[in-house]
Amino acid sequence: MCVSVSVHQYTNERPGAAMFHHIDPRSPIPLYVQIASRLRLAIATGEIAPAMPLPSVRQLAAEIRVNPATVVQSYRDLERDGFIESRQGAGTFVRNLAEPRRSSERQREARRLVRELVAEASGLGITTAEIEQAWKNETEGRR
Amino acid sequence: MTEFAIQTQDLQYRPGPGFEIRDLSLRVREGAIYGFLGPNGAGKTTTIQLLLGLRRAQGGSMRILGREAPRELPRILSATGYVPERPHLYTYLTVAQAIRYHGAFYERFDWAYAEDLRRGFQLPQGASISRLSKGEVGKLLILLVLAQRPDLLVLDEPTDGLDPVVRRDVLTALLDFCAQRAATVFISSHLVHELERICDWIGVMDRGRLTAELPMHAFKNGIKRIRLAHAPSLVGDTPFTLVSRESSGLDVVWVVRGWQPPMVQWFQGVGAEILEVVDLDLEEGFVELLRGARSAQAI
Repeated sequence: MCVSVSVHQYTNERPGAAMFHHIDPRSPIPLYVQIASRLRLAIATGEIAPAMPLPSVRQLAAEIRVNPATVVQSYRDLERDGFIESRQGAGTFVRNLAEPRRSSERQREARRLVRELVAEASGLGITTAEIEQAWKNETEGRR
Repeated sequence: MTEFAIQTQDLQYRPGPGFEIRDLSLRVREGAIYGFLGPNGAGKTTTIQLLLGLRRAQGGSMRILGREAPRELPRILSATGYVPERPHLYTYLTVAQAIRYHGAFYERFDWAYAEDLRRGFQLPQGASISRLSKGEVGKLLILLVLAQRPDLLVLDEPTDGLDPVVRRDVLTALLDFCAQRAATVFISSHLVHELERICDWIGVMDRGRLTAELPMHAFKNGIKRIRLAHAPSLVGDTPFTLVSRESSGLDVVWVVRGWQPPMVQWFQGVGAEILEVVDLDLEEGFVELLRGARSAQAI
């Protein structure tokens, strides 16, 4: 499992298909939730800069081969939660979020990753102490 | 406009002994991408042929695109793009000739869009169809129906036998079309993983009957494999449908349909302990569903 929580520099690239490599149609988590979570995190880490346009529904659906309705639902949720805004006729844009909001979003993702890790480890019979030890070893010198 | 692009009521069709379509009631919502699943021989292609008037049903009724079928078939077909299971192209035509020939039948045929798609798919205009690869034929077939700008697309195993790169190109073109236009897509396939990405509704055929029809998320989230300790041997009323059960060692594995998290209480009530609830993906859910339906019929 890959746990990399780094704060990206702003880039001027539109989010493309590469960003969505990890979405998994076989997962019980609906695709629209997976897509929205990925974008939410990209906005929180600065991977996509404020005011950047998102791809159109048509482009993104075709690019990552999902139902256009799925992308519409993701964008709707992101807009409802204040991450993006759509401007009539111009497209959909990333909103400028205050740092505390972005930080809390990153923390949320961090908690999710850890929860996943702990669940997987306990399923494999690894103790919490062993995880903690491994965590220390891995993160030493990274701070 | 009606709410359903395809609606059939109790279709009956019995071409001979050994196979029949029975009491087929399909409901395909407008704007849906509907995945029509089923093992080989389940009656998927036959159903499609009934819908499009290529075979005559012996009972029941159909409405397609808000019109009565087969009475209003010409109007229905003019707004329907159909990719049959086997290519139906005249192999002595060139790509450009095939486009002109096909397009001539459809009032709304979008010649500029056909040309865009042809370039995108890199199909040489002058190439004879007999010289095209299987993948190129697949692309040409989807080009022809998309350029019709149909309200309904009926695709019978459209990507069967195509390599992954071509499949991807075909699906991308299809989704791009769907995003531009609120078309309904009825797609039959046994490539379950492909459907899992794009469909929002699923219908499952088995032995000439529709065994399930539900939204994709309900299909995927409602079917679970549950590993139990102290499972009751006699099962009375359950809040879910028990699809199958088998024991492996001390544990018992149940596959249930219509699962919702609060139902764990039911297991406590019967003294069973849930060891694990496993999510099934579309393919596993599909296999379990068919297994369950068949063992129920066997009883």
